[in-house]
Order: sequence, then structure tokens, then C-alpha cells
Amino acid sequence: MTSVGSTLEPVESVDRPVEPIGRRETPPASRSLTGRTVATVLFAFYLLSGLYIIPADQQAVVTRFGRVTDRRALPGIHYALPWPFGRVYRLRVLETRRAVIGGEAADQTLGRSQPFQMQFLTGDQNVVQMRVVAQYHIASPPDFLFHAQDVETLVRDAVEAQLTRETAGRGVDALLTTDKAQVQQAAQSSAQTLLDGYGLGVSVSSVNIESAGPPPEVADAFRDVSGARADAARIVNEAQGYAHDVIPRARGNATQMHEAAAAYRARKINEAEGDAGRFRKLSDEYEKARGVTSQRMYVETMELVLPRIKKLILDRDVDLSILRRPE
Amino acid sequence: MITPLNLDVRRRIMAASGGAIIAAAWLSVFTVSETEFAIVTEFGRPVRTVASAGLHAKWPYQGLLRFDRRLRVYNPRPSEFLTKDKKNLVIENYVCWRIQNPERFVQTVGDPIAAEMRLHDIVWSGLAASLGNLELDSLVSAEPHRAHGDDLMETLTRDTSRRALEQYGIEVADVRVKRLNLPEQNKQSVFARMRAERERIARQYRAEGEEEALRIRAEADRQKEEILSAAYGAAYARDPQFYKLVRTLDAYKKILDDKTTAVLSSDSELLRILTKGAEARK
Repeated sequence: MTSVGSTLEPVESVDRPVEPIGRRETPPASRSLTGRTVATVLFAFYLLSGLYIIPADQQAVVTRFGRVTDRRALPGIHYALPWPFGRVYRLRVLETRRAVIGGEAADQTLGRSQPFQMQFLTGDQNVVQMRVVAQYHIASPPDFLFHAQDVETLVRDAVEAQLTRETAGRGVDALLTTDKAQVQQAAQSSAQTLLDGYGLGVSVSSVNIESAGPPPEVADAFRDVSGARADAARIVNEAQGYAHDVIPRARGNATQMHEAAAAYRARKINEAEGDAGRFRKLSDEYEKARGVTSQRMYVETMELVLPRIKKLILDRDVDLSILRRPE
Repeated sequence: MITPLNLDVRRRIMAASGGAIIAAAWLSVFTVSETEFAIVTEFGRPVRTVASAGLHAKWPYQGLLRFDRRLRVYNPRPSEFLTKDKKNLVIENYVCWRIQNPERFVQTVGDPIAAEMRLHDIVWSGLAASLGNLELDSLVSAEPHRAHGDDLMETLTRDTSRRALEQYGIEVADVRVKRLNLPEQNKQSVFARMRAERERIARQYRAEGEEEALRIRAEADRQKEEILSAAYGAAYARDPQFYKLVRTLDAYKKILDDKTTAVLSSDSELLRILTKGAEARK
């Protein structure tokens, strides 16, 4: 059962029994009862060695003389022709297998992975560094076993080729932000199409971009862009803070002025009314009281202003029009 | 030895002939696995190819050659190619192939390593020729559906497979670009360009932020002025005389400070009573 250049190592299911044919030739032609019994028992054991059990997490492919006779033997107890006529290949069919593109995480932290292995060229001729993990499982056990020498490499290469195709059609900004999910989706389905074409009997369940970013040589420039985005937001926020401060303050000032004007008006009317009543009772000797309030305000202002200034009081002949009360 | 000599010889002859029969039977059947082709040879000359798995028969004197018929993947080393617009591109590809015609294969190539060397030559020349007719933009482009990589690969696979099958009995299932990259010596200039591009974007973000901030501040100042002037206007409309008085007295408060010297007339309204007594009132 050896073949030229074979690298496949099937899981041997049956214990290699003692070869009964050869055994019958070697003893001398003894006709004793014990010799026959021993031979019969050995032959029975040999036939029984064709029994095999498949545990719950496995399935098996069975061949007779090299040809597949059972494409999918499910968990349970089965019988196949014993070695060397039959052969049972067991597979963990439900197990999820991984293909890593861009080196294992451990290799990256130790600096072992080549940068070239991680770098992809984007559509706008930027370089991005990606680490991608594809997950797949066996869909058709015989195809998986017999159609290709190195299924894992083929899966990895096909996924990698489709990733390259997707990244070469996109800009770096879209790739690092919005298009990531799209790239994963597209790479998964197109890699599946390729692998179906190769007849590998596997199903790619997911392609996951674990990390994607600029190469370390330009990482700081990329970080500065996000810094700039934050800066811009901060500047705008500060301006909005200013606007939120200055407008209500102006509104408050305006209200104050309105109220002061209203109060003045009310006071003036009240005073005028009060004065009018008083003057009607008193004689005409008094001056009219119309200017009293403004006079008072004037005097109050002078009380406020004059204490802090130097004063020089002159006689009447000097013209001092600057301090005259406004008409 | 107790047994007579003639009996011993008979047994030996029987055993030998039995052994010969079994050996002859053993030599005239052979199995072919799902993963292989077998060629039946007569003294080295291929007679027939067995492609179906299972139990087969041959004459005992005939020999057997077995070939793995499974799909193999060949990863040539990454090589540098020149596009039509004279840009260097490092391409890493993979080639899926299998033996299709074992007789032809054994006559022309013989073993998988020699086969991969032949494939490398075919694929390399095919890639070089087709890339020489393509601009870099048609392989790598941010605009969707501009890249023609798929067409290139299909043509290349078809041509390679035709040549490999005719010459070496090899079926090429797929030739595909696994990785596109720029040559290491171009990397630094690419990084410089990427850096410049990022700096431009960063500057643009900051400038846009400042522009927006300026606009917001100017808008706030304009609103403030509008509100205040509307308020002054309202005060003026309500009582022009009061507005005049308030503004003038406010101005006094600001103008007159401790550096001011006021020269007051004893005749001024404020001081008249001081100098002339209460009787001086007009």
C-alpha cells in the first residue's frame, strides 16, 4: 500500500494481526489436533480484527483494496475486511481547523515573523499589516483525504490570495475602518469557491482579520491623524463653549437694561405725580419739580465721582461748562 | 535427524513449490489507492496505466510504477516583475497541479521536484509577459472593479495548463497571486509617501476644526452684538432722554478717575449753596 511520493499518513484502525497465511506455511506438516486448533483460533482472531469502533467525535472513510467502500462511517461499531485488504481512516470531522496568515501571535511578539508575511498592498498603494485567521472544517471526508497532498497549505494560500485581491481593490482608510467586515465576507466566500474548484472537501466557516494596521514605520503618522481628529473636535467644542457662554450673557445684559429702563420710567412717573400733588398744595414760589430726579441722579453721580478726583474751586467768572449738568 | 532423507526432500519440494505458487499469486495482483495512478511496466517499458482504485491483475513478471495523483501546491519564491508603466512589483504566487498523464510525466519529468522547476519556468514567463502588458493601476486600484487580476490569473492558468499538459502530462488546476507587494528598496519611498499623505490628512482635519471653531465664535459674537444693540435700541425707544442721561453719567464714571483734576466754579449748581448760602437759590 505504499505509493510514490505519498505523504498521507492514515490513521491505522486495526491492530496488525499475526499473518495467518504465512503462519500456516511455516510449521512442519504436523497433523496434530492442537496445531489445527491454534491455527483456527488465530484465524478467528484475524477475522475479528476487522471490527472497529468510531467514537462520537469522529467519522471514518473505509477502503477495500485501496478503493473507497464507505465514504462516511458514522460513530458506532462496524466491520471492515482486516488488514491488508481493508483500511479505516478516521477523521475528526467536526473539529474546527485554523489557517493563520501573517504568522502566529507568539511569533509576532517575539519578532520572529517576517514583515513581508504580514504586509498587503492596498488599492491606493499604501501598505497595511494584517494578521488573519481562517477557520474551516471537513465537509467531505474522502475528498479531504484523497484529493490533495497538503490541504492546510492550500486553504491558507487560497484565503491569502483572496485577501490580496480584496485589499488591492480598496483604499487604506476604508480597509482599516469601514470595509473590514466586507473584506472578511468576500474573502471567505471567494476562497470557498476556489477550494470547491480544487475539490478539497473543506468548508471555510470564517475569515477573521485579527489585526490590521499600518506598518510600524508609519504608525506614528497614522496615530497623528486620529490625534488631529480629536484636536479638531476639541477646538470646535471650545468654540461652542464660548458661544454658549457669551450669548446668554448678552441676553442677560439686555434684560437688565430693559428692566432698568422700565424701573426708571415708573419711578419718574411716580415722582412726577407725587411732586405735582405737592406743588399744587405749596406755593408757586418753588421751582417746578420736573428735573428733580435727574438733578438727584446728577448729584449722586457727583458724589461718586468727586471724592476720587482733585478739586479746585474757582470763582464764578471762570467758565466751567464741562461740569455743567447736561440739558 | 530421525526422519528419512527422501521424506525430507519431498517435504522441501512441496514447500518450495507451494511457496512459488503463493509468490506468483502475490506478484500478479496489486491494489491501487484512491490517491495514485499505477503504470504497469514490462522490463521498464510502460504497458498500461491504471487510474481506478481497487484490486487489479498483472503478469508476475510485470513491474509497477506508482504516482501520487493528488493535487499539490507549489509555492515559487516571490519574484519581482515590471509592469507596463515600469513599476516594480513583487509577486508571490502559488500553483496547484497534479499528474494527469503519468506515462507522459514519467517520460518527460520523472519526479515532482523536476516538475516544479518546469512549472516555475512556464508560470514565470507567463506572468512576466502578461504583467508587461498591464499598468499597475489595473492590478491595484482603490476604485472597485478596476482591478483585472482575476482575468490575468484565468488566462495564465489556462495557458500554463495547456503547455504543462502537452509537454509534461501535468494538469495545472490554478495559478494565483498570493501576495502583491512593493520591492524592499521601494518601501522607504512608499513609507515616506504614506507619511506625507497622513500629515496632509492630519493638517486638513486640524484646519477644518479651526475653521469650524472660528465660524462658531464669530457667529456667537454677532449674536451678542445683535442682542445688545437691540436692547439699547429698545431703551432708547422707550425714553430717549433717559438713554442720554444714562449714557452720559456712565461716561463720567469711566472718564473721571483719580488722575483727574476738576476746576469747579463757586457759581456751579453743586457749590452755589456752599458759597452763597440757602438764600442764593434762584
